[in-house]
Amino acid sequence: MDEIRSESQQVFRDVFGDDEIVLRDDMTADDVDGWDSTAHINLIVALEKHFKVKFAMAEISRMKDEDQNVGGLLRLIAKKLGKAG
Amino acid sequence: MTQPTLDDLLETYATADAAQKKPALAALIKRLKSAVQAGDYVSATAALRKAISPGLDYTSAQSLHRVYKSLKDQPKLGGPLRLAVLGSFTTGQLISMIELSLFSAGIVAEVYEADYGVFRQEILDPTSTLYEFRPQVMFLATSWRDLGGAPELHSDPAAAQQLVEAEVDRWLNLWNAAYQRLGCQIVQNNFDAPAWRQLGNYELRHPTSLRRYSAAVNQAFQDRAPPFVTIHDLDELSAQIGRARWGDERFFHHAKIPCDPECLVEYGQSVASLIVALQGLSKKCLALDLDNTLWGGVIGDDGLGGIRLGQGNPEGESFLAFQRYVKSLKDRGVILAVCSKNEEPVAKEVFEKHREMALRLEDVSCFVANWEPKADNLRRIAMALNIGRDSIVFVDDNPVERALVRQLAPDVMVPELPEDPAGYIAAIENLRAFQVVSLSSEDLKRTEFYQANAQRQMQEETATNIDDFLKSLAMVARVAPIDATTLERSAQLINKSNQFNLTTRRRSTAEVQAIVDDPQWVTRTVSLVDKFGDNGLISVLLARADQETLAIDTWLMSCRVLKRGVESLLRNKLVEIARERGLRQIVGEYIPTAKNVIVKDHYQNLGLTKFSEDDGRTRWRLEVATAEPWPVFIQEEAP
Repeated sequence: MDEIRSESQQVFRDVFGDDEIVLRDDMTADDVDGWDSTAHINLIVALEKHFKVKFAMAEISRMKDEDQNVGGLLRLIAKKLGKAG
Repeated sequence: MTQPTLDDLLETYATADAAQKKPALAALIKRLKSAVQAGDYVSATAALRKAISPGLDYTSAQSLHRVYKSLKDQPKLGGPLRLAVLGSFTTGQLISMIELSLFSAGIVAEVYEADYGVFRQEILDPTSTLYEFRPQVMFLATSWRDLGGAPELHSDPAAAQQLVEAEVDRWLNLWNAAYQRLGCQIVQNNFDAPAWRQLGNYELRHPTSLRRYSAAVNQAFQDRAPPFVTIHDLDELSAQIGRARWGDERFFHHAKIPCDPECLVEYGQSVASLIVALQGLSKKCLALDLDNTLWGGVIGDDGLGGIRLGQGNPEGESFLAFQRYVKSLKDRGVILAVCSKNEEPVAKEVFEKHREMALRLEDVSCFVANWEPKADNLRRIAMALNIGRDSIVFVDDNPVERALVRQLAPDVMVPELPEDPAGYIAAIENLRAFQVVSLSSEDLKRTEFYQANAQRQMQEETATNIDDFLKSLAMVARVAPIDATTLERSAQLINKSNQFNLTTRRRSTAEVQAIVDDPQWVTRTVSLVDKFGDNGLISVLLARADQETLAIDTWLMSCRVLKRGVESLLRNKLVEIARERGLRQIVGEYIPTAKNVIVKDHYQNLGLTKFSEDDGRTRWRLEVATAEPWPVFIQEEAP
């Protein structure tokens, strides 16, 4: 899980062009500067490519909901990779 | 330890293999950002342009686009262009990709993005923001979902044909409405297709299937689109990428993105390549290395019998296939040059004697084989052909030569080549650098022009005085207003000519047509034949009659007929026209650019008097009453 977290963090930094980003589980889209709907697509594409996973459409749409956070995203990736979250 | 320079990082990135691409790009971007922060916009611009290359992935392209955004508002980093994008889907990401590709070709676009899905309203409502923006180019980003009137599966085939006509009529109306009000060039997608087929393999057999319908509409687009509409072949693009991949609909359902976002990079490159071509910035010349580029092996070492070329061995066959591809480019107007480290007679012997060569000496307009640095030779080739270095694509299998040319002749485009010659064609195709938006008879004869020019130069060396030389050419000119047959070629020259161009005013085909239709304007084209061949249509002049003055708006000429007296011929014509219209004076203007210093004294040479000068921009006048005809050695063909 630590691996997924640190690799995701690098993906976030690349996508948002901000080397200061540190991922926390309770982070939401509102906490990251520039995480708008366009950046969201860019993030999904980059995560899919990096982890060689595919998100379902519903997962893509849900990620930005208010009750969702980065912790949930990392667990979703872990699940897709067959690793315990 | 010394820091690697931007050039070093760029080269590392350009030559990195798949695994190293990402860290190399990260290092390059970091350095680009610090260059921007330090205010070194010129280096950052040059490096960013080169980093934008075919094969870029979506995430990297977005990162580069962020650098672009931090740069684009700096003045004079590229030619400005007002581009409107009207889409039936979310166009934001696609626009970033278009902007990036345009920037790599030297264009900084100011983009107006219409709200999603309202393109018809924007065009039909003359008070819309689109008309305030006044775009030079308008891109209609549509998809198969915009096909309005597809037939029912069970409907009558004859009625289906009528539906096709009605569909095309609707689009024609839209284009005409935009053109009449804006006079802009329109880039219109044709229709891709969904990744599924209602009838499976039987789809195309059935006269009223969706694919049959979209194929018929696409065909009618190509047949019926007016000259001011350029059809972007989206259907071909999606097929090349692969319809299954292209048709990943998750992002369409989630955010109305028309295809797999990863495909947007190529989509943007493809659209941008048309806009680049419309601006006259397509590449003109392919400069080729020889050993291991056109054949396998080294002719100087292996000899005629030892090089690998032609049937019988897979490597030889793939070099032959590449030569045939290069020849096909030449046949449609790309100028070929050879730039090789070789003994010239040895290198030429292959073209003359090797039976399997698809390329022959007569296909090559400029042949340079020596031991000088290639960057210098490319400079020589540009001069000999009278083209800019930025019009050349240089192809060489040797990575060291490529790196040297990139560094020492940075204007030349130098694509990475795979080691396998079977991949050479794709490496050039992917550049989309020789994009064609119209094809004139001049394009098809270009190599002959350049060869005839070389022969003329020889004759010039033997003639002892210039008048005798000009007489010996037996030139015949046809001078005529722009008409339907010369409209496209005239617009092409207006958008392409850089050197012999007094004002460098670019105009779309649509704008030129408007001028032709306006009785206040005078238009003339000159076509020139001489004893060595037909030079085609080589000069365009646009002037406007205003009160007592005939004001020359545009005067340009192809440099291949420099110093032949065409200028004097047109000057005499202008005087005649002014007299017929009862005008008192002719006024001309010179607007300096980086490339047109050659015509700085044009009006002085034609006997006009300078009456104003401002920041290098000069204006000139000729009194019609006292103007004597200038001597010319060109016969005029009766109209």
